[in-house]
Parts: sequence; C-alpha cells; structure tokens
Amino acid sequence: MPIDLGRVQKEIRDIDRDKASGVTIEVQGNSVQKLIGCLKGPRDTPFDGGIFYVNIELDDQYPFVPPKMRFITKVWHPNISSANGAICLDILKDQWSPALTLKTALLSLQALLSSPQPDDPQDAVVARQYMGSLAEYEATARQWTQTYAHAQQVVGLEAKVQQIVEMGFGREQALAALKRANGDENGAMEILLGA
Amino acid sequence: MTFDVKIKKWHAVASWTWNAGDDVCGICRMPFDGCPPDGKYPGDDSPVVWGVCTHAFHLQCINRWLQSQAEQKCPFCRRQWEFKQAAVGGEDSD
Ligand SMILES: [Zn+2]
Ligand SMILES: [Zn+2]
Repeated sequence: MPIDLGRVQKEIRDIDRDKASGVTIEVQGNSVQKLIGCLKGPRDTPFDGGIFYVNIELDDQYPFVPPKMRFITKVWHPNISSANGAICLDILKDQWSPALTLKTALLSLQALLSSPQPDDPQDAVVARQYMGSLAEYEATARQWTQTYAHAQQVVGLEAKVQQIVEMGFGREQALAALKRANGDENGAMEILLGA
Repeated sequence: MTFDVKIKKWHAVASWTWNAGDDVCGICRMPFDGCPPDGKYPGDDSPVVWGVCTHAFHLQCINRWLQSQAEQKCPFCRRQWEFKQAAVGGEDSD
C-alpha cells in the first residue's frame, strides 16, 4: 500500500501555518517521503542560538510506523550520536503512535535537547561526560552549537543558494544539499554532483 | 410544539459530533464524513468506531494499527483498546 499522501500533505500544511511552534519542515525534492525538519535550540540550554536540521524519511507504512529521523547538524548530546546524528528517543521507536505527527516528533526533539536522558544513551562518550562533569558537557555542547549550528551560517545561506542555482541546479536541490553540508558550498557541490 | 421537535433534531446531530470527540480521524486525519485513505465511499464503507476510552477512528484505520501491534492500545491515550458498542442516533452516553 502506498503512503497516505493526504495525511502527510496536511501535516506539512499544518506546520507551515503554525509560525509560533518554532519548528519548520521542507520537502526534499519531488517526494514527500524525504523531508528536512528544522528546529531552534531551546533557550537556557547549550543549544540556544543554534538552528538544527533533521533528516526525515517516511516509510510507505507511515503513520503506522514512526518517521525515521536523524540530525543532519552535528549535536553534542547524550541521546544523539555525535558521529552520525542517530537519535535515541522512545516515540521514534516502540512508543510511536499514529496519533503523533511530524510536528509533535520535531517538538519532542526540541524537548529532548532541553532534557537529556543519560540513562538511555545513544552516545556513550557524551553520556559519560554528562554524568561525570555537567559543566564540561555544557561547554562542549555550547561549542558544537557555535561551530555547527550557528545561525550565522544560515544567514549566509541564501547567497550560497543563488550561486549554486546559477550553476544550473534547482533551488530546492541547492538548498537541501547546502543544509546537508552544513552550509558548506564545496560540500554541497559534492553532494549535487555525486547524486 | 414545532419548536420542541426542532430542538430534538438539533440535539441528535450535536450529540453525534460530540461523541466522535473530534471531527477527524486521529489516524488518517480525514473527516469522519469522508473516506479513510483506502476506502472508496463515505458512509457504510468507512464506519466510525469508538473505544471504551471514548476515542474514535475509522474502522479500517484502527484495525490496521491494532494488527501491526503486539499490544492493543488506543493511539491517543495508550489505554487497552476495546471496541465500544456503537450508540445509534442521539443516544447520550455521557
Ligand atoms: Zn481514519
Ligand atoms: Zn483512547
């Protein structure tokens, strides 16, 4: 059975309409089964001021199975792999319910940034640091936010999109590649040429 | 007297809407008077069912969810799912 397009399109519209939620979503290319979510780092956390992109893949069985989500932006957090962005969060696994949505899932990721669950870690090294020295953990997490998720990178994004569009690529394609490459033009070109 | 009859009719409709909790199915997000994604016709082909927890879904939608799960839980409240005998017409179950 193909994916329930009606529900997914409705979900995307609902997120677009709700400007106050702090999360956004964009379709990557032609299929609504590949999306990029975006969330702001919560205030009063080491992620404050950061913009975090999340790769989202929807199986044909969605919403009967959870969306596959992975951080594109590098994050230093006990429940997120510092190597590949894999996320350990119950609602994205066995606690998923079809009454949940992409929006509630993105908001849950934002909540996860605020309240790490070190007992159920995805990244053992980060979890150990979190348990051993909170101050050290916060300093590293803050530094990663500044290096990889700083809003400055996103501000300059539009100019880079234009440059890539002038080279003959589609706007959406260019934007998706730049986000995947964390705003790095050369990285984005490599993605586009390799695709 | 005509006035009374009108009120009764209105009440029945309102009660149906209220019983459904929401006017869309919590799984496919389509209105209950429309079709679930794999149903062709509104009405008989896509009945609405309630759990004893009072949450409502299209029959096809809740069945597909329950079949995919080892534990039979309501998608909304995660309580044990049990079908509630459907109340017909303007029966007030509250
Ligand atoms: Zn439904
Ligand atoms: Zn329920």
